[in-house]
Amino acid sequence: MTQLAADIASTFTAEGAEPFTVDATLEAGDEETLVILGPSGSGKTLLLETVAGFHGHDGTVTVNGTDIADRAPERRDFGFVFQDYALFPHMTVRDNVRYGAQYCENPRDAEGLLAELGVAHLADRTPPTLSGGEKQRVALARALAVRPDVLLLDEPLAALDVPTRQSLRDDLVDVLADVTSIYVTHNRTTARAIADRIIVMAQGQVVQRGTPDAVFERPESPIVANFTGSNVIELASTPAVRSLLDGDTPGRGDAHGNGTAERVAIRPEAVRLDDDNGDLRATVRRVVREDATHRVTLAFDEVTVESFTDSPPEVGTDVVITLPRDRLHPC
Amino acid sequence: MATETGSGLDVKTGRVQTAVLVAGFVGVQLLAFVAAYATGRPTWYAYFMIGSAAVTAYLLDGSSFVVATATLGSVLLIALGLPLFMFVARQTPSLVVEKAADPDVHRVLYLGIYGPLLAAILSLAFGVPLAHLLSEGFSGQPLVESLVDLPLVVPHSVAGILVLFGFGEGGAFPSISVLGSMVGMVLAMAFVAAPYAVNATREAFEAIDHRLEYASRIHGANRWETFRRVTGPLAVRGMITGGVLAWARAVSEFGAVAVVAYSVSFFYPFAGGEVTAQHAPVFVYNTYLQGGLQESGAVAFLLLAVSAMIFLIVRYLTDDNTIGGVP
Repeated sequence: MTQLAADIASTFTAEGAEPFTVDATLEAGDEETLVILGPSGSGKTLLLETVAGFHGHDGTVTVNGTDIADRAPERRDFGFVFQDYALFPHMTVRDNVRYGAQYCENPRDAEGLLAELGVAHLADRTPPTLSGGEKQRVALARALAVRPDVLLLDEPLAALDVPTRQSLRDDLVDVLADVTSIYVTHNRTTARAIADRIIVMAQGQVVQRGTPDAVFERPESPIVANFTGSNVIELASTPAVRSLLDGDTPGRGDAHGNGTAERVAIRPEAVRLDDDNGDLRATVRRVVREDATHRVTLAFDEVTVESFTDSPPEVGTDVVITLPRDRLHPC
Repeated sequence: MATETGSGLDVKTGRVQTAVLVAGFVGVQLLAFVAAYATGRPTWYAYFMIGSAAVTAYLLDGSSFVVATATLGSVLLIALGLPLFMFVARQTPSLVVEKAADPDVHRVLYLGIYGPLLAAILSLAFGVPLAHLLSEGFSGQPLVESLVDLPLVVPHSVAGILVLFGFGEGGAFPSISVLGSMVGMVLAMAFVAAPYAVNATREAFEAIDHRLEYASRIHGANRWETFRRVTGPLAVRGMITGGVLAWARAVSEFGAVAVVAYSVSFFYPFAGGEVTAQHAPVFVYNTYLQGGLQESGAVAFLLLAVSAMIFLIVRYLTDDNTIGGVP
């Protein structure tokens, strides 16, 4: 049973760049997968590397209540899967997976782990001869071999092609079910698929935290709404939606419950294209095929929203759309 | 699989063709030089080489840019290669054989390899840790970098003077005799050679993805173990390159050694005891002053041959196919 909590503040300086401050708290419960979601440059990898002990920082990192902030990385009992794999190129796959065994009291069997991850046949190969997906499975095996208290993963699927990514993501869901883990990604689909809880980062700060449903369905700011793929509707720009909500304007949910939203967010999949009995008329601006469905861009008043449909209308035509009240959330 | 085998064969065939082409070019150059030298017109060979470089570039590539770069580049190659060719061609074989059998020359050649080897080992022993520090970066790094590179710009006789001021009489280690001693010679060589060891090794460290070290640390290895198992093995080629460069630099050192240790006593295993000799460049210079160009040329020829042989052996040993390291 492992619970991890971190309260970290650190300023990073790089030659030729402005100092960058990461100031964040996070918690991951036993066998929970916490996803740190954010755009490139938001500081999520720096936060993960700081938790791992690669960078000095102010604040605490506690595992089961014990502060390990002063411990070197090798004394934290963590495993780490890197985005670019970071496999040792001068060792075989087997030796990579066995790397941490001599520092671990009860390491897992390398051959068994490789077999479990479907790469046992690669044991005698060296990393430069492997494909991206194979490398990532080996990197995962190396991290799991030391029976880490906490598994840290930095965009492990980012460099993979789509079929490999989907296959490995499915395997990761199974692997992560049994270990406390922190998973960094900028991919919202991956985040929603594997997260028990999510924190969203922007410019070194946590801008929202919660369950995947809470973060994706009820974004608390335009930054989160945009990054998680919700439509953001500025109420000042659309009399139609304002009148739609007249008398039922969603508040920001402040302490007194009397705030008034300036904008609302709604998931694209919640925007319905109806034949009639809809809320308002919109013009179809663009239709893009996406796998088995179509993404439709719709314009009304001075705003655009996106929706998904299996039966796309013609570009330039007017359609009636419905914005379900219970799916509109202030942000 | 058939395609892979086919492309492998293609690559092999391509390499063979390239090797044949290069061997053919070198063979033609040698023939041309021998012909020009035999007719007493070595200048003709210079014109031939420039012309042949231009024609070869035209035949292989055809672009005016490549022809121009090959033509101008070959002028520099003439400046570098022609003295070497002339030097070899003008040796008197009987004199070379005589010098090769001279025990004094044996001692000089032994010292000319052994002394620089000690200097290279010394440069690596303390240069590798410094190179690692520099690759990671620290406050005041530019100052340290300047100090490391200082011997590259200091006149070599001045380097010898600096060594004497630092470690000679009244210097930092009064108990150690530097002037005219083996210790002094190695120190003088290390002074001018260490920058090569440090800089080559540092480049190797900097080429290693720092995430490999992170991966080592997070999976249990401390910094020593990480260096032993990951950083060191991945940088070993750079260390060897640095060592070879430092050794080569020490072999060629004249000024600093002449000032600090003109003549030294050292243990010579083939004599079973101490002998006295001069560092090879100093010996060649003395031979030139006392015996003239031809006699010093024979000794220089032997030194050149031994150095080239060692250089080729080390190049072979550090080749991609014969040593591990970053692919």
